[in-house]
Amino acid sequence: MTAIILDGIVLGLQFGLLAAGLTLVYGLGGVLNLAFGEMAVITAMVVLFAMEAGVPAAPAVGLGLVAGGLLGLVFDLTILRPVYRRKHEARVLLSLLLTLGVAFMVEGLLNWRYPLKALSLQIGGGAIEILGVPMRRGSLLASAITLVALGGLFLFFRSTALGRAIRSVIEDEEGARLVGIDPHLMLRLILILSGVLAALVAVTRSMVTPVNVKAGFGITVFALIVTVVGGLGTVSGAFLAGVILGVVSSIAASYIGTFLSLVILLMAAALTILIRPSGLLGVRE
Amino acid sequence: MLEVSRIYAGYQGNDVVHDVSFHVEEGEAVMIIGSNGAGKTTLFRTMCGLLAASSGKVRFRGEEIAGLPAQHIVRRGIGFVPAERHLFPRMTVQENLSLGAYPKRPDPETMSVVIDLFPRLAERRRQRAGTMSGGEQQMLAVGRALMSRPRLLVLDEPTTGLAPKLAHEAYEALNVLRRQGLTLLVAEQQVPLAMAFCDRGYVLENGFVRLEGSSQQLAADPRVRTAYLGVT
Amino acid sequence: MSSRLTRATGTSLIGVAERRSSRSLLAMLAPIALVAAALALVPLWLGGSRVMMGVALLGLAFAGYAIGFNLIFGSTGQLFLCVGALAGVAGYGGAILADRGGLPILVSILLATLAAGLVGGLLSWIAVRRSLGVIFTGIITLIFSLTFENLLFGLGQMTGGEAGFQISSGAGTFLRELTPGYYLMLALVVLFLVVHGLLRRSHIGWGFRALRDDGVAAELTGVNVARYRVYAALIGAAMLGLAGATYAFTRGRISPTTFGFTQVDVVVLVMLAFGGIGSLLGPILGAVTFTAINEVLIGFGELRLLAYGALIIILFLWIPRGVIPTLGGLFRRRPSSSVDPPDDTPAPARREPG
Repeated sequence: MTAIILDGIVLGLQFGLLAAGLTLVYGLGGVLNLAFGEMAVITAMVVLFAMEAGVPAAPAVGLGLVAGGLLGLVFDLTILRPVYRRKHEARVLLSLLLTLGVAFMVEGLLNWRYPLKALSLQIGGGAIEILGVPMRRGSLLASAITLVALGGLFLFFRSTALGRAIRSVIEDEEGARLVGIDPHLMLRLILILSGVLAALVAVTRSMVTPVNVKAGFGITVFALIVTVVGGLGTVSGAFLAGVILGVVSSIAASYIGTFLSLVILLMAAALTILIRPSGLLGVRE
Repeated sequence: MLEVSRIYAGYQGNDVVHDVSFHVEEGEAVMIIGSNGAGKTTLFRTMCGLLAASSGKVRFRGEEIAGLPAQHIVRRGIGFVPAERHLFPRMTVQENLSLGAYPKRPDPETMSVVIDLFPRLAERRRQRAGTMSGGEQQMLAVGRALMSRPRLLVLDEPTTGLAPKLAHEAYEALNVLRRQGLTLLVAEQQVPLAMAFCDRGYVLENGFVRLEGSSQQLAADPRVRTAYLGVT
Repeated sequence: MSSRLTRATGTSLIGVAERRSSRSLLAMLAPIALVAAALALVPLWLGGSRVMMGVALLGLAFAGYAIGFNLIFGSTGQLFLCVGALAGVAGYGGAILADRGGLPILVSILLATLAAGLVGGLLSWIAVRRSLGVIFTGIITLIFSLTFENLLFGLGQMTGGEAGFQISSGAGTFLRELTPGYYLMLALVVLFLVVHGLLRRSHIGWGFRALRDDGVAAELTGVNVARYRVYAALIGAAMLGLAGATYAFTRGRISPTTFGFTQVDVVVLVMLAFGGIGSLLGPILGAVTFTAINEVLIGFGELRLLAYGALIIILFLWIPRGVIPTLGGLFRRRPSSSVDPPDDTPAPARREPG
């Protein structure tokens, strides 16, 4: 049982990281980025190609992170321009549709051109025992990185002026403007950040299981589920929901199978929408 | 200091504010009075850049600011306290105030000035803005606007929803600021308070400037007395 | 002058009075009859090619799906991202009832259609009760879609799982013959069109339009928004189910990909966006166009997804109302029932002096 729970925590940390990227962009800009999973896949491919070209693992990963940031920036400058012209519900709807279109384009292109590619970062060395359970080094490293990343995000938003400025836009956009903060600039920064997070997701996930070109949609779905349960716009919510759902998923998978455990996660999201739409830590509108 | 000329502004093609012109000299306290729906808030939103004027000009210290987005106008030395306050509800008083100074770091001296002005905020430093009472939120909104050390402070209906005692306190605080050299522009529905406090004023009705004059002149005007001071 | 008045006061009230004349009943039925005739000729045109007839049959199924989705989304603005799943509820439901339950095919299809309709109505009712906006409705229905797909895999013993369900009921009958199957599907599509057309002309259709144009105003004038939403979802979902179940029995073999999100919902969305959300014949135009395009691009495999993605972007950015309404807006003088007033009409300037 301990093994299942630890696996669940590893999974849950991944979930949290996934959701962080999505929830920040939604909370700040009212944009639902359904191409998030594909962004992760693209960065995974960047890392893969770099490594195939002979670049050592660490710089290749760095390259992937940079690629992620660039992707976020490109998103902001291109596909999201028309989205920004709308407000509130119209904006979310258009962002949903346009990013869905982008996701399909990317998935179609990658699957057609590189159908068999998969990124897998092997972390060598034997298993390490945690609480009496042998854990693969890959999982442990992935979890450690994720914890550091989430912790870093938390500190950034709590203790830096820029982080506070970004939070203020989520809290009250007009208020933020009235103190001299440019919401568009903040959104651009957040999009770059979410791109980097997508890359981090791909990289850490590849330490646990191979990330192939078909993984995009699944990543997006998980990110969406955890975002909904955790609350829109809150990284702590994403983290909390991630860990909870990770453990639940792990337990369910070992007792009733993977498909049905996914059904449980989906139901959790549905219940959240029906009972407490703002999510675990979200703001009640 | 502030010169507003022939502003037309409104929503979705329909103007609510018509041909409004007024000015505020340095060191003055000017009021814009009018009842609900007169257009005060529309005028306010146009001045602070949250709403684009259909036409007209706004000059602040010689520079044209009409059409600039709010975040740029604010950085030129104007502080705005909107009617809805627009505080950051899940952030603490401390954080709200610090953000007022954005993009600069919050200056401890300015912070202590604001705290002196509104001692209650000091007690609630770590309290979330959304959980405070109306009066406290109003104080916080004013304090936040002051953190950037503005030359001109523009307030939209600062006493709405405040108990009379708190409203008086608010104006007393504004008096202190006046004596320190701050220029003030206040849009107000509670006319007697504003009149006691301001030098000059404009009466806004249905989006037009109907009257202007010094506070004494307006107080003596029979139309103003009937409509706004409840004198029959 | 009167057209400007109509535009200013809203299309619905004045439109209803005009529409009740029998002349406009003919005006509604005539295009449908034309389209039906044209589609009826397709088997002759395709010769005996089994493959092509299969494609045509699938195309008609999609037309049916598109009409159902049009009713749900186009009429009442409910973003149901579970078109495939609703069709699948009836498809798999009917198959299970017939093969495992031993019920006659017709009964199975009817029960399955009913089930799909009820599920759709339930989803709508939930969305209405919880005041879910468009996005959350979309997310919830997407969740339903994914849940259904995963249940198909997870409950493999009943559904055949990944390998699919070979339907033995109806094998060897006319149903499996592609040409009779095609005409059966065509009959359904025509039925759907007529039902949709009649609905639009009825007081229910008036409620739909009022709701879509301005939900709050509709509520204030006594239109029971909730009821109309649920009606639309019930009927639309039933259409989806009927099309899905019929398709299942004519094709004889279904699998999770037959009713999957990527395979059905995405395509139907593109078809409808292209043809015109809310227009009567838009779904047909969309279905025909994209069945053809799909066939042309069949050699490109996964690259088709790229095309669909690009199309979604192009359509929702530049032709959001679809081809038919856009064309209609160009040709027609008075606002038609199917089209929102063109939003490039400048709002009357109201600069009154003083």
